[in-house]
Amino acid sequence: MDLTPTPEQELLAESARAWVARACPIERVRDLELGGAHDRRLFEEIAGLGWCGLPIPANAGGEGAGMLEFALVAEALGQGSVPTPLLSSVTLAALPLAWAGGATAPVARALARGQRIGTLALLEPGMRDEWSPATMPGPPLRGTKLLVPWATAADVLIVATTSGLHVLDAVAPGVRVTPHRTLGGDPLAMVEFDGARANALEVDDSDALLRRALDHAAVSHLAYAVGIAAGMLELAVEHARDRHQFGRPIGSFQAVAHRCADMRADVDACRFLAYQAAWALDRRGEDGRVEIAAALAYSKDALRRIARHAHQMHGAVGFSTEHDLHLFSRRAKAFELTWGTASHHRERLATAMGLRSGP
Amino acid sequence: MDFAFSAEEEAFRADLRAFLDEELPEWWRGMFVDDERAIPLTREICRKLAERGWLTMAWPPEHGGSGASPWMQTIVREEMWAREEPRGPQYMNLNYIGPLIMRFGTADQQARFLPPMARGEVIWCQGFSEPDAGSDLAALRTAADDRGDHFVVNGQKIWTSYADAPADWCLLLVRTDPGAPKHDGISVLMVDMASSGIRVRPIGTMAGPHEFNEVFLDDVVVPRANLLGEQNRGWEVIVTGLTFERVGIARYARAGALLERLVEHANATGLAADPRVRQQLADLRARYEAARVLAYRAVSQQAAGEVPTVEASIARMHATLLEQDVGHVGLELLGPVGLLRADDTRAALRGEVPRQWVRNVPTTVAAGTLEVQKDIVAQRGLGLPRPR
Repeated sequence: MDLTPTPEQELLAESARAWVARACPIERVRDLELGGAHDRRLFEEIAGLGWCGLPIPANAGGEGAGMLEFALVAEALGQGSVPTPLLSSVTLAALPLAWAGGATAPVARALARGQRIGTLALLEPGMRDEWSPATMPGPPLRGTKLLVPWATAADVLIVATTSGLHVLDAVAPGVRVTPHRTLGGDPLAMVEFDGARANALEVDDSDALLRRALDHAAVSHLAYAVGIAAGMLELAVEHARDRHQFGRPIGSFQAVAHRCADMRADVDACRFLAYQAAWALDRRGEDGRVEIAAALAYSKDALRRIARHAHQMHGAVGFSTEHDLHLFSRRAKAFELTWGTASHHRERLATAMGLRSGP
Repeated sequence: MDFAFSAEEEAFRADLRAFLDEELPEWWRGMFVDDERAIPLTREICRKLAERGWLTMAWPPEHGGSGASPWMQTIVREEMWAREEPRGPQYMNLNYIGPLIMRFGTADQQARFLPPMARGEVIWCQGFSEPDAGSDLAALRTAADDRGDHFVVNGQKIWTSYADAPADWCLLLVRTDPGAPKHDGISVLMVDMASSGIRVRPIGTMAGPHEFNEVFLDDVVVPRANLLGEQNRGWEVIVTGLTFERVGIARYARAGALLERLVEHANATGLAADPRVRQQLADLRARYEAARVLAYRAVSQQAAGEVPTVEASIARMHATLLEQDVGHVGLELLGPVGLLRADDTRAALRGEVPRQWVRNVPTTVAAGTLEVQKDIVAQRGLGLPRPR
C-alpha cells in the first residue's frame, strides 16, 4: 500500500498539465466549443505524445502502461476542460479491438498510434443506459444508434448488435452521422445505418468484452471528471479570494469558505477513488467490481455537489457564458448522466458487496 | 501507487484478528459501558500486545518499538477500532502522546515516559478543552505560574476522557505568558494525576461513563522537568499532536465492520431485496471506500515524513460523517427494535446499531469540530482568508 505517485507517474501527470497549459488553454477550449469541438491537429499532437496507446498492451501496438497512467493524463485534460476524443477512442474502440485481436488487430494498432479515431455506437431509441442490451440485428446494419460520442470525428465505428460487436469505417456506404444538440460534454451524434456492411469481432463472449470496455470508459471519464472538479474548485477559490462584498473577500465568510472546504474534500475523495478504480482495472479484473462501482457511485453524486457549490459561490457571473465556469459545469452534468448514473453504480455496488436481490 | 497490502501485512492482520478473537470476551462492548471489567481488560490487552511486540510496533527501536511500517500500524488501528478499541485509553499514548514526546521531549523525558507506554502499563489523558475554550482552544486560561524549577497550575479542564479511568498522567495545555498573543503564550506540561490539588468530577454522557470528566487544578505543583517542548511554544506541539490523532484513529474501520453486519442482517431478513435499502447500503459502502483511501493518503504522507495537517482534516471529515450515517441508516433498517439497547434481551445485532448511533453523536465535535476541520482545509489547504 502506498498512495504516493511514482516518479514516472508524477512526471507523466506534470507533462500532461504542461501540455494542456500550452496547447489548449481555456481560450482555445472556448473557440473549440463554438466550432464543433474537434480539431484534428490537436488530436495529432496528443497522438504524438503516445497517449492513445498508453493503456494498450505493447503486443497490440500500445505503450503497455496501465489505466492508472491513462487516468493521470485524463485528469490533466479534464482540469483544462479540453475537448478530445482521446478517452472514447482508447476505451471504446482501441482497447476492445486489442483484446479481441484476430482480423481487427491492424485497426487496433492504428487506433493505439492515434492514426485513426474510433468510437462505439451503443444506445438505441428507448434504452435506459449503456448497459441495456442491443436490439439492432447483425449486418447488414439497419437502424438508429443515438448519443454516439465523437461520431463526427471518428474514422472507425464499433457497433453493438444482437449478434455481438461489429466494426466498420465511419464513412462506409449506408452510414449517416448527424450531430445531436446537447447540453454539454463530448459531442454526440445520431448514427443511422441503412444496409451497411461490417466485420464481426471474433470473441467468445462479446457481452463480457463490452462490459469490460464500459468499465474502462466509465473510469477514464471519471478521471477526466476529477480534473473538471478540480478546475471548478480552482475557479471557486480564486473567486472567493478576489471577490469583495461588505468590504472584505467573500472567502472570509465561513458560509463561503466551508463550501470550498466541502468541495476540496469531495475532489480529493473522487481523485483517490478514481486512482483506486483505475488500479483495480489494471490489477484485479473482475475482482475489482467494488472499487470500480464505489468510485463511480460516489463521484457521480460528488460532481453534482461540487458544481452546485461552484455556481452558488460565483453568483450571477457563473451563469454568464462570459465566465469559464460553464465550460466545466456542463461537462460535470454530462459525466453524471453517461456511463451509468449514481443509482446505476450503487445498484452494481450493492450486488458486488453481497446484498442478495432474491431469496 | 499501490492499493493493496502486502502478503506479509495481510498475514499480520490475520494473526491480530485471531489474537482478538481469543482475548476478547463475549461481554466486551468497548470502553464507555457501565461495566467495571472494561478498563482492567484494556490494561490486560495492552500488556499482552506489548509482550508480542505489537503495541508500539511502529515506534523506533530506541523507544521500545520495532520500527514497523506505518502500514502495519494502520492494520493495528483498523482491527482495534473495528473491535471497539480494546486498547482503551492507551491508544492515545501510541498514536500521538508518545510520538509527541519523541519529537519534542528531552532524552530524559523520553527515557522516563516512553518505556511504561511501550509496556502497556500507563494511562494518559489529555487536558485541552476548558469551559470557555472549545473550538477556540487557544483562548485557554488554565495558568501555569513559572517559579523557576517548577510551575504552579491553577484552572479547570473539561470533557477530559478517561481522567477517571483513572489516568496516571495528563498532557496538559496551560498558559505560561498571559501577556502574549493567545497562540504564543501556551505551553505543554506532563502532569502526574496523583499530584495534590487535582480533583476529577465525572460527567455523565449519552454513551456511558469515562467519556467525560471535569478536572480542577488548584495550586498543582509541576516540576520544570515535565515541560514538553519549549516554554510558550506549545501551540506547535498541539497542532502536530492533533494531526497525529486525526490520522491515528481508523474511524472508517468500525463503520465498515458495522456495515458488514448490516449487509448480513439485510440478507437474513430479506431486506436486501428492497431497492431503497440496496441504494442506502451501497451509498455507505462508497463513502467507506472514500474515507479509507483518504486515510491511506494521509498515512502515505506520514510514511514519507510529512505532517499531513490538511489531509488529516479531510480524512476526518469523511470518516466522522460516515460513522454517524452508518448509525442512522442502521437504525432506520432496524426500525423500532433499533431502540433496544445492548442490555435488553430482545436487542437486535447485540445492540451494536444503537450503540453506533449514540457514540457518534459527538464524533463531529471531538478532536476539532467539523467546522474547525473545514476552517483548516479552507485556510491552510486553500489559502482563503481568516474570518475577521
